[in-house]
Amino acid sequence: MVNLTIDGKQITVPKTATIYEAAKDNGIHIPVLCYAKKLLPYGACRICLVEVEQMKGRLIPSCTTPVTEGMVVTTTSEEIVKVRKTVLEFLLVNHVVECPVCDKAGECDLQDLTYEYEVVTNRFKGEKFDLPTDEVNPLIERNMNRCVLCGKCVRVCDEVVGYGSYSFINRGFETKIATAFDRGLNCEFCGQCVSMCPVGALLPRPFKFKARPWQLKEVDTVCGYCGNGCTVTLGLLDKKIETIRFNDKIGVNDGNLCVRGRFGYSYVNSEDRLTKPLVRKNDQLVEVEWDEALQAVADGFVKAQEGKGVGVLSGARLTNEELFLLKNLAKTIGTGSLDHSGGECYKGVTEGLFETLGVKASTATFPQIENSDVVLAIRNDFYDTHPVVGMVINQAIRRNNAQLLVVADKRGKLSKLPRAKTLLSGPGLELDVLNGLSQIMLEEGLAKTDGVEGVKPLKQALADFTPDKVAARTGVDADALRDAARQLAGAERAAIMLAYGLPYTALSKELAVAAANLALLAGIPGREGSGIYLCGEKANSQGAIDLGILPAADGLGAQAMLDAAASGKLDALYVVGEDPVVSYPDRDRIEKALDQVPFLVVQDIFLSSTAAKADVVLPAASFAEKEGTFTNAERRIQRVRAGVPSPGEAKTDGAIFSMLDAKLGGSLAFTGPAAIFAEIGKDTPAYAEINFNEIGPQGVVWGGETLQPAARKLGEVTAAPLVEGEYRLVTGSALHHSGTTSTHAKGPLAVVPEAFVELSRDDAATLGIKEGDLVKVKGNGVELKLKAKVDIRMPNGVLFAPYHFKESGVNRMYKGETVIPVTISK
Amino acid sequence: MSEAVETQVQEEEIDLTGANEVIDKYIDMPGSLMPVLQGIQEFYGYIPEPTVHLTAERLNIYTSQIYGVLTFYSQFHMKPRGKYIIRVCMGTACHVKGAVRIGDTIENRLGIGHAETTEDLKFTVEHVACIGACGMAPVIMVNEGTYGSLTVQKTDEVIDKYKNMD
Repeated sequence: MVNLTIDGKQITVPKTATIYEAAKDNGIHIPVLCYAKKLLPYGACRICLVEVEQMKGRLIPSCTTPVTEGMVVTTTSEEIVKVRKTVLEFLLVNHVVECPVCDKAGECDLQDLTYEYEVVTNRFKGEKFDLPTDEVNPLIERNMNRCVLCGKCVRVCDEVVGYGSYSFINRGFETKIATAFDRGLNCEFCGQCVSMCPVGALLPRPFKFKARPWQLKEVDTVCGYCGNGCTVTLGLLDKKIETIRFNDKIGVNDGNLCVRGRFGYSYVNSEDRLTKPLVRKNDQLVEVEWDEALQAVADGFVKAQEGKGVGVLSGARLTNEELFLLKNLAKTIGTGSLDHSGGECYKGVTEGLFETLGVKASTATFPQIENSDVVLAIRNDFYDTHPVVGMVINQAIRRNNAQLLVVADKRGKLSKLPRAKTLLSGPGLELDVLNGLSQIMLEEGLAKTDGVEGVKPLKQALADFTPDKVAARTGVDADALRDAARQLAGAERAAIMLAYGLPYTALSKELAVAAANLALLAGIPGREGSGIYLCGEKANSQGAIDLGILPAADGLGAQAMLDAAASGKLDALYVVGEDPVVSYPDRDRIEKALDQVPFLVVQDIFLSSTAAKADVVLPAASFAEKEGTFTNAERRIQRVRAGVPSPGEAKTDGAIFSMLDAKLGGSLAFTGPAAIFAEIGKDTPAYAEINFNEIGPQGVVWGGETLQPAARKLGEVTAAPLVEGEYRLVTGSALHHSGTTSTHAKGPLAVVPEAFVELSRDDAATLGIKEGDLVKVKGNGVELKLKAKVDIRMPNGVLFAPYHFKESGVNRMYKGETVIPVTISK
Repeated sequence: MSEAVETQVQEEEIDLTGANEVIDKYIDMPGSLMPVLQGIQEFYGYIPEPTVHLTAERLNIYTSQIYGVLTFYSQFHMKPRGKYIIRVCMGTACHVKGAVRIGDTIENRLGIGHAETTEDLKFTVEHVACIGACGMAPVIMVNEGTYGSLTVQKTDEVIDKYKNMD
């Protein structure tokens, strides 16, 4: 710690602090433009100049100057004010002052400072900037006439996002911020630059002329898309979400968001939302009153339960409280056939972890990743499925020199991060690479085997996974494998990351076991600062697992329910918050099941492909219309808060479950989320000690920051199937989308409106395919027509197509396998 | 979209072998962007856009960052340049001795002003600050050749000389 005096106040701060940070933490205001908490000190704007007694004769930039013992700082004096005023005058020489039509007005740092320092006139005259506005993209407007060259956008895009869209170009007076070749912005559109911009140079286009900042009411809630659990602050006007506000004060994401979180909110306002219950009459879905619809559902379920039974299938974007009610509603219906999307696709991931570590969740929290020495990411999709965790990994690399190892069958954003080593395997062979790493650890005596069960059998089972054999099978260099294993074994703090979700069905358990084996051998689970992370695709994937939205002993799981429905052995299916027709593998099989089942009830916010087949459709509420909790991928239970009312007569899933339960004669009273949360604790011990009303802005992590594994048992070794073929297709998530919900959101849709097939440049050249060409992809007896996307991400012979889109029908071809042999032609 | 920067329109079709060879030479040397760009410019005479994308990909540097470097230094050129680069000194001494008139003369003869290139790619004119030959003011350079104590007539002769060369 260092002692210093600022404005006569004696303070003590850590020796790593700068003068600015020291002042700020002690309530002393120093103005800044180019400083941002999450970025490295830069010292570009000179607004934060202060006087330091020990450094007389010049003014000192407080944001870049570290504190020293005994320093005496003055933050305001006649001289300082004069200089700050001059700096503002300089900025205002070229800056186009158009506050009346600037969306930033009211929360603009330049406007506020000009006001604070009373810069009424300007001694300097010069030309105003006259640069064209970049309106090429639909999401971010760039008006460089308002830019003050603080460089925050350049820095956030590099230091946090790792994309590098912007750079300072030219020199002297000509200097400006531009993209490569000074073209229109074409990037990930995460909007981090927009939240960093202190002026109106970078603005969210969908928010243009929608509201003045001071008119907006703010509600902090949790993003409804992926399992990262980012805090999103809804900017509301007249009970409508007009924008997502920047908020780095609470939550796990430090204000960082991805394109979905920042621009994907518009589905909430969509005209296509369901507003009234629908019941099928004369083969038409017609609007009816709630009572009629609920009665129809209740009657249908009673009848079905007297026959061959009811199956209940839930999505993973319901709150914990709603999932709890659903679980109890299933009991009232009298069925044990309850499952969530995981049952169909990725349940194996948690099962695998449970068999080895005795837990079904990540063993550490996201902030710990930032201090890791080694991060091993399995599947490069990690950045696509959980972009904000990707940003944490980026910061671990840039700030703390972490070594990133990527085990994947394609390159991606993560592979391009500094010093990243990609162990690029043949398609779908990540499992073999993980086994190979375990083998090396054991063989070279690097493994930490104290208290770990099953070392000997594992050693034997891994005999086929020597570096040379793995290299021959997967194409990963044997020495690269050895280096990676040694780095992982030698790391004091290490993270192993595995994303899961609907498009990753195959080998999910095997992959989790292999990852857990590797984690055990590296001594990761339960070690302070280290962790194995299982990251669910949906906002409450972890909650669904914690609450046990799984079949009872006598019930059917998702796959069995669908099989039973298809073969006439199930009389009713209740699908809540999921669109299996588009999102589950093997669409034909799903459609058959849904067409065959005599009574189908779908509860959703849109008339999805699944809902279109239903006998009764119940209109539900989005995340922005709910009170309750989500549990994110690091076990953090966070409050979800309602910001807007549901459209029309749509109701929250929880309310619908209560009403339906009452119709069925149950006793499930909807007494509000706090009471239900308390009930959850009775079923789920990990939640028992948490009081709903005490869940603060940072949430509560059940099991603590470091979750101790209940077992340390090495699991069974399996090899991934080798799929031959000139071209092989893998599916997965695309960065701009999450599940099927985002395909109703204008933002993500404007950037990625449809499915595509991604291929390497060499393959494209061989096949005579150009970017944007419509190509035919044939496999599994299905032909798809997809737009081609040509880049350096895909290895030769490997194709990628994301699953989210109804029209593309990728899940007609994808039936849950690791890799699909295909042919591709123009 | 995430790879968009790399896949942006590459209108120019050029043979990247030369650029690849330059990059091969420096690929393991940290901080080698400047020599790589200089090498590419030496090979092609300017920096064609596809070589920028190639450099970004192979050195794992953002394309935007390379563009920032290219636009910062006046030594880099992103458009094809003439075979003969005429540097007209506009330093103080030359200015006093009539450099403006020399520049005008060249413009009249070749039809190009500062930072322009003739359509036949034979000449590029650049007005530069002091080239360090004040004793010979006004002075111009044509590639490595220096021509001092110029008059309008002498300037004409220099241009004729190069016009008559290949």
